[in-house]
Amino acid sequence: MRPWMLGLLLALVTAGIAVALLDSEVSGIGAVNVGESGPERTATPEPPQDEGEQRAERRCQATESNPGGTNNYIPAAPERESLGSGFVITGLVRTADGCRLLEGLRVQVWLATETGGEQDNRASVRTDAEGRYRIETDPTIPQFGEPNIHVGYDDGDFGEVFIRRVVDLDDERAVVDLTLARRG
Amino acid sequence: MAERRAPAVAPHAGGGARRPLAAVLVAALVAVPVVLALTDRHLAGASAALVLSTATAAVAVSVIALQPLLAGTGRVRRHRLLGATVLVLVLVHVGALFAESPSDALFAMSLDGPTRARMALFATIALIAAVALGALKERLPLATSTWRILHAYLAAIVIALGIGHALLTDGALDGTGTPVLLAFAAIGLLGVPAAHLARTRRTRRRG
Repeated sequence: MRPWMLGLLLALVTAGIAVALLDSEVSGIGAVNVGESGPERTATPEPPQDEGEQRAERRCQATESNPGGTNNYIPAAPERESLGSGFVITGLVRTADGCRLLEGLRVQVWLATETGGEQDNRASVRTDAEGRYRIETDPTIPQFGEPNIHVGYDDGDFGEVFIRRVVDLDDERAVVDLTLARRG
Repeated sequence: MAERRAPAVAPHAGGGARRPLAAVLVAALVAVPVVLALTDRHLAGASAALVLSTATAAVAVSVIALQPLLAGTGRVRRHRLLGATVLVLVLVHVGALFAESPSDALFAMSLDGPTRARMALFATIALIAAVALGALKERLPLATSTWRILHAYLAAIVIALGIGHALLTDGALDGTGTPVLLAFAAIGLLGVPAAHLARTRRTRRRG
């Protein structure tokens, strides 16, 4: 092989690898960091909406599942009060149509902690009168390269949503709001 | 019983067995990332598969960084043996992650996966290619100089992306592990051109 051909080949391979790496997302597609620390917010923020529209016409952007959201999902997690202590997973659940907060809706969460992997630490939790779900767990640990949590809705009234999000190791809380679209 | 015998096989010139200090140093270098990785809290409550995956990866870190030194100092047989060993370590590492969670492993390797997993994928492909080049050296229709550049290039990719993968991975070699990884990356990446130069000079002298 001539030297210039070898040089060109290696330059092309290097460029291809560089492009593939730059094209990737650090934590995987859509896995934004939702970690928080400090005092927990309890006020319910108004959803983004257009001024002057009638309430009946309000629409909120439905939450989309992201790749990896269903990893280690086992349907029908048991309803549990907590999965330990030291870390909180919480969020508000609304309808896309009308942006109404949903009460009594079942959300499932799963994550890896010191007590086991994602298939061991799973729970169903229901939203309160203000549309908020909240469950305390042991802190998440990075069993698969990065501390991450899963939140899912899979009960049929609305379109299913499976979320994979990351947090930092020293975060105290993951906040994942869900906006669900009616099936149809 | 006490009769002394000449060894059946003469030791290699400069073999590590004759230099206990070097052997101790190498053992310490290999042990540092392994101890750090296995004592990290991310393995609390972890399955045997996850412990195996972490251990094999931590051993591979130091071995790939030391590979160019073996090649550059002419310890080719040992270099080949350890090259094959690294490949086995990496395959066990990946296999154990599959055993732990097939969905997480497949996701990591998919186009949607995180940057660190993509680095690992390219590093593994380069490692397989480097080992194949080594195994098929005599049978490939390549000039020695071309073979040497290809092998060195693949080695640099394995070291840069393999250790880059470890740097971006949380748990295992975080905190104290980061400077350790950077040191191994430096040893390995400086070792590749040094080994290339040493091997090329040796060939010229012989020719």
